[in-house]
Amino acid sequence: MIRINNLTKKYSGTTVLDIPSLEIKKGESFGLVGNNGAGKTTMFRCILDLIRPNSGSVESKDEKVSGSEDWKIYTGSYLDDGFLIDFLTPEEYFKFVADVYGLQDGDLEQFYKDFGEFFNNEILGKKKLIREMSSGNRQKIGIAAALLPKPEILVLDEPFNSLDPSTQIRLKNLLKKLKSEEQMTMLISSHDLNHVTEVCERIVILHEGKIVQDKITGKETLKELEEYFAVNN
Amino acid sequence: MIKWLILHQWKSGIRSTIRQKNLILNLIIGFFIFIMVAYLLLLGLLINRIMQEVYPGQDHVRIFNGFLLYYFTVDLFLRFLMQNLPKINIESYLHLPIKKKLIVHYIVNRTSIAIFNFLPLLIFIPVSGKIVGAQMGPAAAWTWILGMLFMIFANNYLGTYLKRQLASKPLIVGITGAFILMLIVLDILKVFSFSTVSAAMFSYLLNYKYLLVIPFLWMIITYRLHYNYLKKKLYPEEINIRKNRKIDNISDIRYLKSLGTTGSIIALDMRLFWRNKRTRTMIFMLPLFLLYGLFFYPNPVYKDMAGFLIFVGIFMSGGMMLNYLNYVFAYESNYFDALMTKNIDPAKYIRTKFLVGIMISVICFILTIPYLYFGVKIFFINAMTFLYNIGILSIILLYMATYNKQRMELSRGSAFNYQGIGVSNWLAMIPAFMMPVIIYWPFSAAGYPDTGIMFIGVLGLIGLSFNRYLLSFVYKNFEQRKYKMAEGFRQK
Repeated sequence: MIRINNLTKKYSGTTVLDIPSLEIKKGESFGLVGNNGAGKTTMFRCILDLIRPNSGSVESKDEKVSGSEDWKIYTGSYLDDGFLIDFLTPEEYFKFVADVYGLQDGDLEQFYKDFGEFFNNEILGKKKLIREMSSGNRQKIGIAAALLPKPEILVLDEPFNSLDPSTQIRLKNLLKKLKSEEQMTMLISSHDLNHVTEVCERIVILHEGKIVQDKITGKETLKELEEYFAVNN
Repeated sequence: MIKWLILHQWKSGIRSTIRQKNLILNLIIGFFIFIMVAYLLLLGLLINRIMQEVYPGQDHVRIFNGFLLYYFTVDLFLRFLMQNLPKINIESYLHLPIKKKLIVHYIVNRTSIAIFNFLPLLIFIPVSGKIVGAQMGPAAAWTWILGMLFMIFANNYLGTYLKRQLASKPLIVGITGAFILMLIVLDILKVFSFSTVSAAMFSYLLNYKYLLVIPFLWMIITYRLHYNYLKKKLYPEEINIRKNRKIDNISDIRYLKSLGTTGSIIALDMRLFWRNKRTRTMIFMLPLFLLYGLFFYPNPVYKDMAGFLIFVGIFMSGGMMLNYLNYVFAYESNYFDALMTKNIDPAKYIRTKFLVGIMISVICFILTIPYLYFGVKIFFINAMTFLYNIGILSIILLYMATYNKQRMELSRGSAFNYQGIGVSNWLAMIPAFMMPVIIYWPFSAAGYPDTGIMFIGVLGLIGLSFNRYLLSFVYKNFEQRKYKMAEGFRQK
């Protein structure tokens, strides 16, 4: 589904990302962990064609993401606040997203129904602009908007951050369901080792822009990760 | 404690990413300030001679005093429009054991360091010495300049206070502006002489020097007014944001919905402009662009200066479009990443922006049609420059806009807000306004001025008919530059 070849990104001489080769298969749930500055967000931005790598390329469905727009149709993403349009109300924002993906009003109603529990009555009908909402609620809006067009690929950067415990659990269940029922390909970065091992079947550790470990999640994975990060800090 | 506040303010100034990146812009602004100071200085040094020339044999002190009330009224109005409120992040201090009083005193006093308070002194100080002092002696000169200082600072505290309170009520500002205009008109028509009142007031001050206590008290009162207001409002949310705003349903237009993605992008733009402070200030500046012609058309001197009238035409139907197109991507810097990752065809996106730009110009042109009153020629010039604006200028501006990669903070509004303005924006303005005039000159020199004006319009029509082709260059450039733009927009 997604293939990375010889990808490097440098900022003023320092290499912040260097991935010779990486392939993410269809339906795979891919977890990315690493300390601050490891290059997680940079990698996601390369995948979403938001930064131009110094070398190499990212392919989505065998087509390079730079120079193509096709991947946008089947990719949902939320990296940070910059993905939200802060002067809109949540409803206006969802309507906008639905429009650009050519969805009908019926789809949107269904979406509101599906996400009713996830929103927990804190998002819809509040007559508040997104910029006036708490960071947790903004995070919910961003994640929901990424899922609104029912994408085949989902890219989320630290989705559990600033969510309340109930929503964290709901999000985990939602992601698991999307994986098992829709075979959605998911790329999720997280600082929370518990969550990421629970949701993702494959974990990659990034350190100073390089992949240092790439493993299939098993019973021991959480322990191994904790040991790794206890030593390498 | 004050020491720390000042130090932090200073550091936030010099470490601001905007300031560091924008060296050339700073140089340009610095240059303008330098020119202004130089002019005022010269004017101040020559003030007595100028007064002698313009009003020979009259009581200069009286004439000058006659201006003062006007000056302070207009000054108050200009401060309201232009003076920036110092931005202090009070949240970082409120939770520390610092007395609230101190913070408030600091915020109020911080407004004193504004160029508005110092520029007039370049004139007032020479006037106090060379005119008041020369005529009435040093004691009068001292009284006068002290009075001026009190009045200037009173205006400072009052203006910033009003700005804090009324910035969100443009109607009141408009009415006040109209009221001042009316006073000036009444004075010109000699119905009511505001200047006589002004002259009398300040003559009293010079004759009875103890009256100096009045402007002094006025300054203290305005200071307390500002201080008390802030003291009551010293909560971040009350000081910064207006609460309980109703969500408007602007742009819920049926027609837009029928346009699909194009309609969504336009609706988004309309909301962007209406819901952010800075862009809303711009909408209120629209009349300024449209009324521009009124400064020149009634004056017969400009009747035959077609080159100049072309400039006026470009400015009236293109000024607002320039404001829009020149920053068209930067306005969306807050969520540029979203636009780039969602299913929006960039070519269509750019085309929509182009269409909105043209629509703005069309509206401006229609609103300036009444200038037909000043003659067919003026209408002809305006129509031709309008065609140029929508056919050529629009594309140039859109092309230049891709070079502007600075994040723009839209929530801070003010007429003189340079935040997020890149060098490319300044460069764009030169061809924007000068090119048609340059095109016109050879025709005019060869004796075919009307053909020259028509040629400007024809150029516009050509540009308009090939707009798809021309926009493809903008698109290619956009695709090249989008990474740089996205990166720049992410930098807060």
